[in-house]
Amino acid sequence: MHLHELTIRKFHHGLVNKEFTALEMVEQLYQHIERRDQEIGAYLSFDKEAAYLQAEKTDLAVAGDQKVSDLAGVPLAIKDNILVAGEPATAASKILENYRAVYDATVVKKLRQAGAVFLGKTNLDEFAMGSSTENSAFKLTRNPHNPKLVPGGSSGGSAAAVAAHLAVAALGSDTGGSIRQPADFCQVVGLKPTYGAVSRYGLIAMASSLDQIGPITKTVEDAALLFKTISGYDLHDSTSVETVYGDELLDPKLEQVRKLVIGLPKEYLGQGIDKLISQRISEVVKKLKTLKIKFKEVSLPHTKYAVACYYIILPAEVSANLARYEGVRYGSRSTFNDLRELYFRNRSLGLGPEVKRRIILGTFVLSSGYYDAYYNKAQRVRRLIKEDFDNVFKSVDLLLTPVSPTPPFRFGERLADPLKMYLSDVLTIPANLTGLPALTVPPGFQLIGKPWREADILAVGQYYERLGR
Amino acid sequence: MPQIIDKASLGHLAKLARLKLTAKENQIFLKDLQKILNYFNQLQAISTDEIEPMTGGTVQKNILREDEVNIERKPHSVNDVGRIVEAFPETDKGYLKVPKVL
Repeated sequence: MHLHELTIRKFHHGLVNKEFTALEMVEQLYQHIERRDQEIGAYLSFDKEAAYLQAEKTDLAVAGDQKVSDLAGVPLAIKDNILVAGEPATAASKILENYRAVYDATVVKKLRQAGAVFLGKTNLDEFAMGSSTENSAFKLTRNPHNPKLVPGGSSGGSAAAVAAHLAVAALGSDTGGSIRQPADFCQVVGLKPTYGAVSRYGLIAMASSLDQIGPITKTVEDAALLFKTISGYDLHDSTSVETVYGDELLDPKLEQVRKLVIGLPKEYLGQGIDKLISQRISEVVKKLKTLKIKFKEVSLPHTKYAVACYYIILPAEVSANLARYEGVRYGSRSTFNDLRELYFRNRSLGLGPEVKRRIILGTFVLSSGYYDAYYNKAQRVRRLIKEDFDNVFKSVDLLLTPVSPTPPFRFGERLADPLKMYLSDVLTIPANLTGLPALTVPPGFQLIGKPWREADILAVGQYYERLGR
Repeated sequence: MPQIIDKASLGHLAKLARLKLTAKENQIFLKDLQKILNYFNQLQAISTDEIEPMTGGTVQKNILREDEVNIERKPHSVNDVGRIVEAFPETDKGYLKVPKVL
């Protein structure tokens, strides 16, 4: 089977029907990576030996006619802020350049138990801070569809790997759109689950009230499969919640989908949205209407405040979470006279400009005299944004919106203007502030669901997919 | 319009965050932060007096347990602990070495 055709579903089918072995596919993928990743730059590191071993394990099980899971032998790429035991976990930061994970993140542990193969770790904006992967301390990642364009970010490496067929699927993390925007830019599928649906144990923390891990895949069906495997309560992440996702995730029924009402929020479709983007949305709506799904225009009046609200709360949490990178626990003990000097030296040399900018901004909004005017205010606005969604979900089941207000941009285009870069997250941020699940599907739409209703957005996504692109 | 942040306050914030900024970084960050903080001012237009702050999370409940040793809860095996010690920048006979604090 050609690598370009491989999805998780097809891989499983080919594997159990003995059309190929997992080892053959992993070898083929590494050969393809060797040729193609020079140009793309999706990966930061590989552990081929571990990948071959894991693939052989699956092949033995298949040869012995044992029942294997849907993910057995499936070659995945993992964003480099998620821990895989024994492998580097740099978060694309110099300060963690020589760090190797000593344990598996819970999501990795679950995938390992399901027999998945980890090809390598993918590039990202340093500590997941950015929307173009240009903030990586190590390399640029290029958009597989056009090397002059950014792949989006921060999970740019994972999205580019899947789009260029350098992995069958990948994991990313999403704090303000970091799964969905790069998935959109690279024309693959991305899912940010409900806050609490997936354990973050073993994810290098950026902003703890917003971070979620989720899948980046070629099809919506694959996203549902990966999500089902990685979700669930975890003792080691007290924000994770026990939820039971049934068969409806993988096997949605058309009669159920037809009962859903999709809201079209006018604030997401008006001013500031590129014409090409809104045209695509009209075409998607037209297509979905052929399934006899009902639509309704709705309003989320506080949408315009989401970017300001988010870029106060996020840096506040960043400044606290990144206090641990001081040179005592991680990094090099360069020569120093006292502890103070060690802190200053390691942080100043080890952290990149965007990380520093956010730490300082966070320190400011939390500082005495400004706390109420900024941090406290933003938390109150966050509730208003949440109440907007609570209100519309009384009359609709899910929302359909664009993902990014513009098509992918060029390298360097927004790097000099951080505020402009922040504004590119305007349509993805609200789902993080409110904890809602959100799915992005090519050619460029986002479905936002009610809490714990990944089943609704995945069902509509899967039926859209079946209509053909 | 008076700026919310100036060169002196930026220097103070950097010190609090244990960051030493270069002259160029100082110049760029000052400009960026002024622009970003001005953008934040739009929030002042909304009345939020009656609104409770939202700290995040989908389900808000305390996770409590008895204060007792519970081996089951331990995430790591003894081998993991060994690897964690090894990963530390400086160690001595299994102890973690940190710079002198006082």
